[in-house]
Amino acid sequence: MSTDQSVLGIPELDPELFPYMPPGWLGLLVGHSGAGTPLFAKQFAQAMVGASPVLYYTTYERTEDVHKAFRDFGWDPDGVQIVNLSEEYFRNVLVRSLEVSQRRERGLKVADLSTTNRPKPSAAATYNITSRLLADLAALDGRFRLVLDSLDFFFEVLENADVMTMVRQIRHRAQELGGQALLVVQGEFHERRVSGMLEDMADVVVELTARPRGEAYEHLLAVRKIRNHPERTRILPARMTETGLTVARPDPKATATRSG
Amino acid sequence: MASAAKPAPPDAGGLRERCLTGIEGLDNILGGGIPRGNLVLIAGSVGTGKTTLCLEFLVRGAEKGERTLFLSVTEASAKLIENLSAFEFFRQDLISAGGLVFVDVPQIYDLLGLNHEELTVEEIDLLLKAFLDLAREVGAHRVVVDSLTSVCYRIRRDERIRDFMLKLSQGLAELGCTTLLVSEIGQSAGRYSLHGVEEAIVDGVILLGNARRQGDILRILQVVKMRGTSHSRAQYVMELTPIGLLMAPHLKGGRQES
Repeated sequence: MSTDQSVLGIPELDPELFPYMPPGWLGLLVGHSGAGTPLFAKQFAQAMVGASPVLYYTTYERTEDVHKAFRDFGWDPDGVQIVNLSEEYFRNVLVRSLEVSQRRERGLKVADLSTTNRPKPSAAATYNITSRLLADLAALDGRFRLVLDSLDFFFEVLENADVMTMVRQIRHRAQELGGQALLVVQGEFHERRVSGMLEDMADVVVELTARPRGEAYEHLLAVRKIRNHPERTRILPARMTETGLTVARPDPKATATRSG
Repeated sequence: MASAAKPAPPDAGGLRERCLTGIEGLDNILGGGIPRGNLVLIAGSVGTGKTTLCLEFLVRGAEKGERTLFLSVTEASAKLIENLSAFEFFRQDLISAGGLVFVDVPQIYDLLGLNHEELTVEEIDLLLKAFLDLAREVGAHRVVVDSLTSVCYRIRRDERIRDFMLKLSQGLAELGCTTLLVSEIGQSAGRYSLHGVEEAIVDGVILLGNARRQGDILRILQVVKMRGTSHSRAQYVMELTPIGLLMAPHLKGGRQES
């Protein structure tokens, strides 16, 4: 399959979705524990490697673990710009916060303030996680693919309104440049109002679930929303294989029946 | 010229220990220096010599073996030291020997995470504690805060400024520090500090200003208030020279322009 027609990075499903997608869009991947959401996020990213810049933002995995996961499934991580926001946030904000607490507790010494012993000017003090991400987007001048795994982290450290503003900016940039952005959220994590606003903003909403069936788990991939094409929504059984997530090729009759 | 400032009459009580500023004319006006432990506002508009007066006050103390601390809010201390090097009375070794310690207050804000534009009550207490901790560690006999106006700008509320000033005054006095606080005021402010609260708390107010005479702008110094000593309230012309500040009575007979 040509990467030009990649939608979700699932070869069995993308040809059916592609004609209904605008050039630039915002996707929401709603995940549940154990459903394979991080894997799907990486699969989505790798599907456009070589065709456009691919940015992968992780907020909870180690960078080396992201690399390994790519390689484990035969995907090349070198074509993906992997940004570890959690490490940056820890280094710039949480460590600084810890140091500030320690200094507040023990008090300042002249040595802390001497010109030779001065800490580096704090990028730390001015670090802003949304600016960090949006600056990368602003630097792009053509189509791109972006994964943010996950948006939940932003909700933890920012006000809801600020996160929503960032999501709107990502969407605007995707529409402007013909980019495709996938934001990952945990299904049970957010209050209904927040989930509703996110789903409203998204052009595509996909949900991954896993439920026990006998001695194994049955995975389901639900395409819950394709903007302007509700007839294309569906729930498909999914399989986790050595090359990633696959689904049974959709039955065209099922669509015809639903839409007809 | 320096000796032209006539000594004020001796104290009625005359018992408080004095901190000689080392600026001869000013010491004469004050009848032998600032009563030790006093908190003094150095109020004036731009270019009136506030910072220079404060720096000389510290250098003269350090020369005598006293420990001194300059808390710089508005200007980087590296730049201050560079400017200070133009004066003959300054010696770099006073800094290396630890007699003259410069601290950049914005660095205190940064290191203590005092990020709010308007400091919270907790943050004000942290800042106060930092000032007192540093003065204690240095063993400071003389302290300068340049400027108090900038600090108060972030405290904002009058009642909090009052509380901060009272605690600062008490804390520094307990440490035996004689302290100068720089207050930036407009030329026609009609008061000696940004909020007006500051001048009510301090023990002394020294007003610096400008006066035009025959086309020249003269720097003027006037001691408005000083607890613990009697002093002249006359205006003196203050001149910044390479050897330090010199003072002479402000003769009002000449043609003056407002």
